[in-house]
Amino acid sequence: MKTIIWKDLIGMIVLPMLAAALAACGAPATPITEAPSATEAPTQAAAPSEAPAATEAPPSAEAEPVTLRVGATTIWDAINPATGWEGYNLRYWFYDGLIEWTELQGFEPGLAESWQVSEDGLVWTFKIREGVTFHDGTPMTADDVAWSMNLLMQGKIGPLELYVQGFKEVVALDPTTVQITLSEPTALMETARLHYAWILPRSVWEGKTDEEILEFEDPAALIGTGPYKLVEYVEDEHMIVEANENYYRGKPVIDRIVIQQYATEDAMVQALLSGEVDLIDEVPLTAVQPLLDAQNVEVVIMDSLSLIDLVINSNVNGTQPESLNDPAVRLALEYAIDKQKIIDVGYAGYGEAASSPLVPAMGDWVNPNIQPIPHDPDEANRILEEAGYLDGNGDGIREDADGNPLEYRLYAEETGTYARILEIISDNLAEIGISAPPTLMDGDSLYDLLEPDWDFDMILWQWGWDPDPDFALYVFTCNAIADYLSDSGYCNEAYDEVYKAQGNALDPEERKQLIWQAQEILFEDRPYINLLYPKTVQAYRSDRFNFTNLSAGDLLKKWTLMKYVLLME
Amino acid sequence: MQRSDYLIRKVLFGLVTLAVVVGFNFFLFRILPGDPVKSIARSPRLTQEAREKLRIEFGLDKPVFLDVERLGKGDVIGAFDTQFTAYVSALAHGNLGISFRSRRAVSEVLAERVWRTVVLVAAGEMLALVLGTALGLISAWRRGTRVDMGILLWALFCWGLPTFFLGIILLILAQGLLPVGGMVTPGLKPENGWAYWSDVGKHLILPTLTMAIIYTSAYILIMRSSVMEVLSEDYILTAKAKGMSTFRILGSEALKNAILPMVTMIALNLAYTVGGAIQVETVFSWPGIGRLMYEAVTMRDYPVLQGTFLLLAVAVIAANLAADILYSMLDPRVKAG
Repeated sequence: MKTIIWKDLIGMIVLPMLAAALAACGAPATPITEAPSATEAPTQAAAPSEAPAATEAPPSAEAEPVTLRVGATTIWDAINPATGWEGYNLRYWFYDGLIEWTELQGFEPGLAESWQVSEDGLVWTFKIREGVTFHDGTPMTADDVAWSMNLLMQGKIGPLELYVQGFKEVVALDPTTVQITLSEPTALMETARLHYAWILPRSVWEGKTDEEILEFEDPAALIGTGPYKLVEYVEDEHMIVEANENYYRGKPVIDRIVIQQYATEDAMVQALLSGEVDLIDEVPLTAVQPLLDAQNVEVVIMDSLSLIDLVINSNVNGTQPESLNDPAVRLALEYAIDKQKIIDVGYAGYGEAASSPLVPAMGDWVNPNIQPIPHDPDEANRILEEAGYLDGNGDGIREDADGNPLEYRLYAEETGTYARILEIISDNLAEIGISAPPTLMDGDSLYDLLEPDWDFDMILWQWGWDPDPDFALYVFTCNAIADYLSDSGYCNEAYDEVYKAQGNALDPEERKQLIWQAQEILFEDRPYINLLYPKTVQAYRSDRFNFTNLSAGDLLKKWTLMKYVLLME
Repeated sequence: MQRSDYLIRKVLFGLVTLAVVVGFNFFLFRILPGDPVKSIARSPRLTQEAREKLRIEFGLDKPVFLDVERLGKGDVIGAFDTQFTAYVSALAHGNLGISFRSRRAVSEVLAERVWRTVVLVAAGEMLALVLGTALGLISAWRRGTRVDMGILLWALFCWGLPTFFLGIILLILAQGLLPVGGMVTPGLKPENGWAYWSDVGKHLILPTLTMAIIYTSAYILIMRSSVMEVLSEDYILTAKAKGMSTFRILGSEALKNAILPMVTMIALNLAYTVGGAIQVETVFSWPGIGRLMYEAVTMRDYPVLQGTFLLLAVAVIAANLAADILYSMLDPRVKAG
């Protein structure tokens, strides 16, 4: 009898495990394609744009329509661009701006063929491309451009309002000319404004009340001039899009894209392994190795615009202990933290140690003189000793001059590998006599600790920046506090002046110097300890597709799909 | 006491419970830390004006329960112009509100989702009930044998299995054979007829199996113990002595008497299956009520949360009421309650 039970148990426990292990192990390793680093990106970008991929790809006109099946954990919140705050990359399939965002740092003329700027930098005149039509067949004219810019300027399309900031007046001078007048000169028109200030068809949106605009949850809300049009979207299930035959850059290679939404990453990975989907937009770290080992699957590692940072409460009304405001303590904290270990444990090695809040993909805007501070607990201890933080009572925790122990509240969102990262930081700080037990909470509770209470000491956080450094620098301004964008509560008038000057500087060299200066101020004051720049990790079926260039930072970005996809069958 | 009195009392009790749930639902989610405006528009590109606009749109600019300020000024009616009164009055009109996230009517979203969960739970429960009853009966009849031990061990093992763990194991095992997520292959429509329904059926196999395996164990254990109790009664001995066949004894005597605890169990399980459905629906990306609830919690989508919880409360209360009524029909002794 005993033997039977044991056999049953073996059958029930060991077999599934064995099967799981077998499923995870596969055939020989597939090489990883590395994206060119940010410094090489500009040269890479120039070459392929001359030779569009459509000519390289085998002719697919008579063949079956090409479908790309994508697995994703989220699609977006709403179809309507007036209420949808997520999925910018996907929305960008449907609409175009006057200027097209290409590589992570690249721009090209979009719906505007060319443009001129007045001497004072205030008046921009755009020549609008002719012969472009919206998905519903109506022609796109300068009138649509001016009309939709005005819609954005009135704040009717909330998520896009930021992209017309500082626009005073937009008028169509004739059917192919649009003039934008600014309230003050800005360096951001080409790099941060016009690629997301999408052109919407006047015929669809005109005559809608504010209420009707907010309730416009209809496929018609996605009518634009972009390479794909919506066929079907079912919340929490899937989205189907179809190529726009009349796209002004030519019909896309992929005729149809189906995004299937998975509630768990594991299911999504299984779907890629079994060929149920062709591409997954996010590879969970635990799945990187099995996918690398799998046949016909290519894992791609790309530069991203993300930053992982440790926010230090810098608000004057904050509840942080006095010692945390001491620059010496902040410097010691940075010496104590082992950034490489965080990268290895929390990001499976796919990241770079950080120094500035600006990420390497931003290229020349990143101040090269700011080097990452090495992991050196001895130096950290020395700095603290010198600044007078000693362990007077011998309990292993240092005290300040008034005898207050160096005990800090260390928080993070309960997500991904944050728990493990927080433990590493906590252990690192313990080594230099600072107590910071890790505490996890949900994202909403974390938000509640910020403005107006500023009731925390340190928070592990993540940002995804715009390609232009302006937004990344903005979150450290005093204005950002009122906008709920600031997470450190940092406010420094000298910094604000430099920030404003860089935004108005039309000469790139002058602007660069100012941006470098802004980074130096942040490095001194240290509202953030910048931990690492994570990579974007995606994977696709190499038996069906081949992505030839990864410099746009995302396989699903419009530019990648339009230019760098080859079919394998 | 009359049977009708008993029923009226039960129904009234159900209605009171429902009223309490309605109020409780409203406050429960608002006690949670976090701000729906912040979590829905988590985009950093949100200006303060846009944020205020959203707040007014969602009605979150009003006080939650009582406007103390206006009450202080003697404006008693105005003091009740709050989120709570707006919610109750809308509910009285059958309006569950608009989802913060997708801006669709909550009733519309619920109507679309509810049958999918019903299909899943019904299929899982049915399979579990049939298997559980049969195995429990066999186990009780063959008490103390290897068969009994095997069934018991299996039941205890499955009872302890976390739903999501079993789900993921099945998902890995079925890789390539069955679809691992969703309800239907994107693009197929009910208009496609057989192709659509067979595709849904294929997608249904894994989640149903997961649910059935987990819930079978409860039915096995209940069935086994109640049948064993019945089998030790004197009248069974009498029946045996009269020469009744095993099959008839089990079927007409033991099963009939063991049915009462099963009814309780099924009613109770309905509440549990909904909880289990959240996990199963999440593992297999089944777009039902459980998924909806999960998404709504992470987004602090109050109207959807209130709507789903209300629906669940109604379902559980109705199931309990049905069990009570069945009880009084099955067992004449149940009247005094």
